[in-house]
Amino acid sequence: MKNMKLRLLFLAILSLFVLAACTNSDSKKNDTTSTNNTNDNSGKDTASDPIEIDFWHAMSGTAQETLDTIVANFNKSQDKYKVNAQYQGTYEESLPKLRSVGGTKDAPAITQVFEIGTKYMIDSGFIEPIQTFIDKENYDISQLEQNILNYYTVDDKLYSMPFNSSTPVMIYNKDAFKAAGLDPEKAPATFNEVIEAAKKLKTDDMAGFSMLTYGWFFEQLVATQGGLYVNNDNGRSDTATESVFNGKEGLNVFNFLKQMNDDGTFGNFGTNWDDIQAAFTAEKVAMYMDSSAGVAGMIDAAPFDVGVAYIPYADDVERAGVIIGGASLWMSKGIEEQEQEAAWEFMKYLQTSEVQAEWHLGTGYFAINPAAYEEQNVKDKWAEYPQFKVTVDQLQSTKESFATRGALISVFPESRQQIVNALERLYQGEDPQKALDDAATETDKAMETAEKANQ
Amino acid sequence: MKQLTHMRSALLYLLPSLILFTVFIFYPMFRTLYLSFFLTDAKGNASVAVGLDNYIHLFTSSQFLNSMKATLLFVLYTVPLGIVIALFLALLANEKLKGIGFFRTIFSSTMGVSVAASSVIWLFLFHPSIGMFNHVLQLLHLPQVQWLVDPDWALLSVAITTIWMNTGFSFLIILGGLQNIDQTLYESAQIDGANYWYRLRRITIPMLSPTLFFISTISLINAFQTFGQIDILTKGGPTQATNLIVYSIYREAFVNYQFGTASAQAVILFVIVLFVTILQFKLGEKKVHYQ
Repeated sequence: MKNMKLRLLFLAILSLFVLAACTNSDSKKNDTTSTNNTNDNSGKDTASDPIEIDFWHAMSGTAQETLDTIVANFNKSQDKYKVNAQYQGTYEESLPKLRSVGGTKDAPAITQVFEIGTKYMIDSGFIEPIQTFIDKENYDISQLEQNILNYYTVDDKLYSMPFNSSTPVMIYNKDAFKAAGLDPEKAPATFNEVIEAAKKLKTDDMAGFSMLTYGWFFEQLVATQGGLYVNNDNGRSDTATESVFNGKEGLNVFNFLKQMNDDGTFGNFGTNWDDIQAAFTAEKVAMYMDSSAGVAGMIDAAPFDVGVAYIPYADDVERAGVIIGGASLWMSKGIEEQEQEAAWEFMKYLQTSEVQAEWHLGTGYFAINPAAYEEQNVKDKWAEYPQFKVTVDQLQSTKESFATRGALISVFPESRQQIVNALERLYQGEDPQKALDDAATETDKAMETAEKANQ
Repeated sequence: MKQLTHMRSALLYLLPSLILFTVFIFYPMFRTLYLSFFLTDAKGNASVAVGLDNYIHLFTSSQFLNSMKATLLFVLYTVPLGIVIALFLALLANEKLKGIGFFRTIFSSTMGVSVAASSVIWLFLFHPSIGMFNHVLQLLHLPQVQWLVDPDWALLSVAITTIWMNTGFSFLIILGGLQNIDQTLYESAQIDGANYWYRLRRITIPMLSPTLFFISTISLINAFQTFGQIDILTKGGPTQATNLIVYSIYREAFVNYQFGTASAQAVILFVIVLFVTILQFKLGEKKVHYQ
């Protein structure tokens, strides 16, 4: 009798598993749409088949909704081409998928790849540089944001079409500034100013400053001092062979963080983006670094006045600006020419100021076409949220240099992991120079291995 | 002659599973072994033969040695304690009480929660600023703990999560084992005047030993292969404290695109698990009492 009951329970749980497994299977959206098309066409023989292309992206949440709307509008706007937008997981998940089909005719026409995958994509042989199409058509690219183009231009060729771009900013709690007797309209600008402000802001419940333990922010703090990440002009004049981020600028950043960590004014909220944002809204930290794409959400979520400022820089240097983060769109090689054409048309559609305005407002990413900022809906939003403008100003005031164009290395994901490790060791009391040197050594090793493997 | 026909029909019956095993287990296994002697290019193809270099590199890399250490610690934290807790709960749930079915369902319920879902739940519990654990500590005027951020705590936190996740499954198996024990043994022991602890030690545990052996083998292998909760809770950090081997393999292969060294790590893990399992069979099975 007892056995029977137990078996039933077991069966019930087993069936739950089976159910869960069933819902896991991907819906074959692509297939159904194509069969629909053939059905439609058998009915009316006038229109020729639209050319269908796949677009792999990594946008989830509200960004995905905005993107789906844009794609649907493109498909409605004409009947020659049809774009199927497919979410393929995060940037890190979609790259291995691309690798299994890259360069073949099964590859998606357009793939969205994060900025640090740029070098990898160029070397992969999977892709056709966008420059080919720009040259063929004499397309005017100068309408786009120069500072964004700089990142994706390698050897004077634009390899991929910029799409979603963001930069880091420092976000702070204006109410906490007032309570600490600081000017809420004037955020601290240099490392020392931040250190001093953090001391004043620190209370029993609230840390003064925090930064997500993530390599990107370190890269930005090095670049804004004009410092390079790797040699050979950040890998842009020749393949990088050695990392240089453990030099003076990198050490400045580590000392800056160490100082606050020693003062007890630094809050460490780990490597998870949600955690640090939750800490800020819960008033556990007064200033922290975030992506410009997170500004809108933070203003809405925080129950206090939110200020947005440029990222801090070392006291004895001039501010050089920020590097573009985010992702760009890559055109596949090895697919049908008309599919490439369709992809190119879609990319051009994405750059129109109306689409960019919609994208900017829907997501908080920059408009790659600055004309979008002149659109009325953007102006209205900016009037409501002047903080948005700060992010754009910071990008547009960036001085072009190898430092602010960002580093090009194929082992960037690994190098970022090493930086994370170094930061974590720093917070545990490791010597700044030692932590940085170890990260540099590991990065060099990874670059060497990659170089050897890809000869 | 007769044996040959037997052999042939046996093979015929085995064929479906042999084909499946070859495609999904044997081929990938040999491919992994093959790749572990190479460096791979951007497309993931073997490009440069390096012999044993990948292995030498791993055994001299402090990060990989740290991964091994973390994995062994993790196994030590999770396996014995997990089994003890599951055994305890199963003994409770084996009592003949009214409404015991409810408790049995509750105790085994973690089995119905996927690794991802339960990791997210624990992520909220551990949350540094709005987490429940820190909130409780604060109410008790105890110092706050950086559960997932402090290297001294992170592995322990993940271990707690894992024990919670695995308890349901172990509980169910052990309870099944308990229910299979012949009741007449207890009856005669009671007549002889044996107390509860004596019965537990002399009847329950020995009769349960095949189940316990099974569950410890499975738990051990599972613990060595832990991945999901690491990926969601800590991503191998802080300072590599939770960078278990499987997570390290994942990073090496799918973030760093080095299939060669990743394969070498996979082979090493395979050897370790094989060795531990053999050891367990040699030492543990002697104590197992089969009816």
